[in-house]
Amino acid sequence: MSITRTLDPPPAAEQSRSRPVKPRRLTWRRALRRDWQLYSLAVLPVAFFVLFRYLPMLGNVIAFRRYVPGGSLFGEKWVGLRYFRMFIQDPAFWHIFTNTLILGGVTLVFTFPLPIVLALLLNEVRAAKLKRFVQSVSYLPHFLSIVVVAGLITQLLSVNGAVNQGLRALGHAPIPFLQQPGWFRTIYVSSEAWQGVGWGTILYLAALTTIDHQLYEQARIDGAGRWRQTWHVTLPGIRPTMVTLLILNIGTFMAVGFEKILLIYNPLTYPTADVIPTYLYRVGVMSGSFSYGAAIGLFESVIGLILVVAANRISRRAVGTGLW
Amino acid sequence: MTSRGYRAFQVFNALVLTGVVVVTLYPFATIVAQSFSSEHAITAGHVNVVPRGFNLTTYKKVMSDSAFWTNYRNTVVYTVVATAISMVLTTCYAYVLSKRQLKGRRFLIGIALFTMFFNGGLIPNYVLVTDLGLRNSIWAIVLPNAVSVFNLLVMKAFFESMPDELEEAAAVDGLNTYGILARIVLPLSKAVLATMVLFYAVSFWNSWFSAFLYMDRSNLFPVTVYLRNLIAGATGGADQGTASDTALQIGANIQAVTIVLTVVPILTVYPFIQRYFVSGVMLGAVKG
Amino acid sequence: MNQLSRRGFLSTSAGVAGLALAGCGGGGSGASSKVTSANRTGAMAKYGVGDQFKATVPLSFPIMLLSNANYPYKADWLFWSELTKRTNVTLQPTVIPGSDYNQKRSVMVSAGNAPTLIPKTYHPDEEAYIAGGAILPVSDYLDLMPNFQDKVAKWNLQGDLDQLRESDGKFYLLPGLHQDVWKDYSLAIRTDILQQLGLAVPQTWDDLTTVLRAMKKAYPDRYPFSDRWSTPPQPGANNLLALVGEAHNVWAGWSYQHAQWDASAGKFVYTGATDSYKQVIQYLNTLVSEKLLDPESFTQSDDQARQKFANGQSFVISANAQELVNHYRKDIAKISGATVVKIPVPTGPIGAAKFGSRLENGMMIANKAKDGKDFVALMQFVDWLWYSDDGLMFAKWGVQGTTYNGSVEDGTFKLAPDVTWAGVNPSGSKNLQVDYGFFNGVFAYGGSTKLLNSQFPPEELTFQNVMDGRKALPLPPPAPLNSDDREQATLWQTSLKDYVDQQTLKFILGQRPLSQWDAYVSELKAHNSEQYISLVNQAYQDFKKNHG
Repeated sequence: MSITRTLDPPPAAEQSRSRPVKPRRLTWRRALRRDWQLYSLAVLPVAFFVLFRYLPMLGNVIAFRRYVPGGSLFGEKWVGLRYFRMFIQDPAFWHIFTNTLILGGVTLVFTFPLPIVLALLLNEVRAAKLKRFVQSVSYLPHFLSIVVVAGLITQLLSVNGAVNQGLRALGHAPIPFLQQPGWFRTIYVSSEAWQGVGWGTILYLAALTTIDHQLYEQARIDGAGRWRQTWHVTLPGIRPTMVTLLILNIGTFMAVGFEKILLIYNPLTYPTADVIPTYLYRVGVMSGSFSYGAAIGLFESVIGLILVVAANRISRRAVGTGLW
Repeated sequence: MTSRGYRAFQVFNALVLTGVVVVTLYPFATIVAQSFSSEHAITAGHVNVVPRGFNLTTYKKVMSDSAFWTNYRNTVVYTVVATAISMVLTTCYAYVLSKRQLKGRRFLIGIALFTMFFNGGLIPNYVLVTDLGLRNSIWAIVLPNAVSVFNLLVMKAFFESMPDELEEAAAVDGLNTYGILARIVLPLSKAVLATMVLFYAVSFWNSWFSAFLYMDRSNLFPVTVYLRNLIAGATGGADQGTASDTALQIGANIQAVTIVLTVVPILTVYPFIQRYFVSGVMLGAVKG
Repeated sequence: MNQLSRRGFLSTSAGVAGLALAGCGGGGSGASSKVTSANRTGAMAKYGVGDQFKATVPLSFPIMLLSNANYPYKADWLFWSELTKRTNVTLQPTVIPGSDYNQKRSVMVSAGNAPTLIPKTYHPDEEAYIAGGAILPVSDYLDLMPNFQDKVAKWNLQGDLDQLRESDGKFYLLPGLHQDVWKDYSLAIRTDILQQLGLAVPQTWDDLTTVLRAMKKAYPDRYPFSDRWSTPPQPGANNLLALVGEAHNVWAGWSYQHAQWDASAGKFVYTGATDSYKQVIQYLNTLVSEKLLDPESFTQSDDQARQKFANGQSFVISANAQELVNHYRKDIAKISGATVVKIPVPTGPIGAAKFGSRLENGMMIANKAKDGKDFVALMQFVDWLWYSDDGLMFAKWGVQGTTYNGSVEDGTFKLAPDVTWAGVNPSGSKNLQVDYGFFNGVFAYGGSTKLLNSQFPPEELTFQNVMDGRKALPLPPPAPLNSDDREQATLWQTSLKDYVDQQTLKFILGQRPLSQWDAYVSELKAHNSEQYISLVNQAYQDFKKNHG
């Protein structure tokens, strides 16, 4: 009985809170009176957002106006949906848009679970020193600069590099990995996973410490082995973190690593490697088409926002918690 | 608990973790080795974990430049101040957002979340900072990036998962909101606080773009800008003609040296933070 | 002098002046400048060629200074103090690290915050700022710059300058002026291998094929030629493509431009579809299919290419003087008996000719400067420092008697014994660039061939002499697009370039047979190559009509 109880998502408090309040409608007056201290804590952060985020956001209006560098910040004249039409009608744009979606999506699918898995594996290590050592080493790739990582990739995958040497030893002909569009996604996702998995475990490890050890005790008393304990105690314990991260990552999945792609792609791999930011970079290299970039940026932002809202709704229905 | 299946799993786990260590440590060790290796060994590709042609030329050149130390000190100052301010703002706001009964909570979350997707772009931000008179001051680095929505929402999730009974009990004991936050919630949130401090600190430590954009005087740059420029000068290097051997040596491993110089402080500080979330510092059974 | 930093958010800028793009005539060096006596503070009343500019009152001008990490900015350089002594002008630098100079320049100009003088600008980067009215149409003010005009006339640079003109007939960049086309890039070959195989230094590209074949026969397990300089967004092996292209009189590699001037037809055609371009591809395809040229040349990093050369895996690589001396020679030092030389660029169907502009990176001037009271003095100052013989000499080599002795005119030039630069006088205690601030890329560029040659060691001089002997082919006529067309053209250009780059590589690497060339040309048409070219031709006609 105690196991099933512990499976429920934490806030038993939610049920006890929402019922008593319902009869009396909470007006702003009462809310302020009751919670003014909380609101006071929110003043400075909100001021930050308004000043440093919302005020410059007005600049996004250049997606609808003709902007020229050195001219007015808000563009010269209203052109409406002209730039939006420009990229919607550009067949090249849809291709790179698809590339961005695929690359971002595949990256998310592979790099999201890996830190969780690693955190759980680390959790099973008894020796504290070993655990700390492995964890400290695993995040080192996060600190390598992108240029260095790109250099490592090109070196590893060159025709005389380590991978191809291995292939030759197995009797296989060498593959020019970086010249073939079919390999690009694998290469990119692998490098993202390698760079991010160690750093990503930190948050989950922190989440693991918040799980009440008594729950493990109770589970053990009830006869659960290590696997069942993980399934019924550990995973639910880190669920809030997982859900938060998942929704946030879904919202931002289109933000692929521009610099890294720029360093390892080439015209032969454009069909799969070219994504929105690299395309804009090439367009921008020839002229300062700011308005065009702003229009595309807005388009991506709207998509991201819709995805987050949808993901949140699904999450609330599926597991009861979400981002809000 | 020590079933045969579990023992097999432990072996498997050991193998996997060893693999992780090798795959992540090996390239890094090679980079470190390169930072100590001779130019010829590097360009011929002979360096692998062990330095070849050991020399300290690049280190000496970088560390004997007073500008390097000035900028390094800047980095430390910027990081400490920025992390402190960010932590205060983020923690307060995350706590507020975690209170489900707060009226307008969704709106407040939305204010933050919306900014994750929409921002004004480079030029409006630049003009704003300039108009506020923040250029060439530490505030240009600290303020515009004070709150990371990602960190904010993760912290909120942590606060939400804390049992309400604790706070209720404290309220009964007569603590107001500020007291609850300071005396009850924060001490029990060491794991997430340590994590956020780490995230913010590392992000500010590695950042160079804000400083580059808003500082016009080289004595205000953080060390990342200094090193980045060194790399550009060494690897771009036009109008140089014949370069000295020293310059060539520097050109070969300045990137590696840069990485070592920026990562080593983090590595030394990290164990102090790590103990908050690895060895399982317990929440403590404050319940009942 | 941050006058514009007080702009409030909701105020619109008054910088719409630059929108006067509809071919108003009068573009050219003879235009009368619109200066009045209100702009003449500090200016010299009589200032001409050979005069030392000295402001009548002390003046100061803000300048954007790219700080090269090899000689980082120092406030106490002799350069600054001597400059003030001679010209009565103090420069106020905004120091920007060289690593991201372009980005910061772009932000500052776009935000209206840029200093008056903005050097280190490469054409066509300045085009982005024209429509916003942020930069000065310098061609309107050339009458204030006697040295500039003198050099243009003396060295016949009209055609080169026309390349910089926009659709309104004006140009907005003050370029560095060279007397002759300066060629630095070529190929480096292991001369000991040549000797070993009894081969002569190849003179033509066909000679090179023969040489490579012999090398391959002697060393069948490796690619004799493994190239570098393959950073996107160009196709790859960009130097090699550019050199071979030049030999066939077509733009290719990093010199690629979409519009090729067909003199006999009197119009522009699309470069990627021309027969000459096909010949370039064919040549390289032969090299690749005979396994003479490493296919990875087109995608590998420079480090990898260098590594192969350093390990004796390859014998030929693209080079410039600096790479040769600083890297290649030292890289192969461990191979006994290895020697390497930069050969004069091999020639092709067009023979011993060369192609290129004699202009190089230059300076933009903020538009608001023209309203300043010291505007005329500013132009005279710029003219003296960057375009007069004395100014060029000063910026490059410094002060006679202190940093150098002799003169470049009669060949007696020599760096002072205690001053070292680029390997000359290695025991010198002071570095010309680091300690004195001379030979700084922001100030010292361009000039007469004699001045240019004074910086070369004897080996490079031999190369330069051969290249100087080649005839310089005429440049195409100007065909600048106006800003409305440019927006659409940019998108077409990007998709065309991507396609050309991709197919170029596919043809060369044999992934696509050359028999499909015609199909490729039709595909280019599907990417709007014809529309693009007709835009260019229209621009050419318009320019010819409006500005002769």
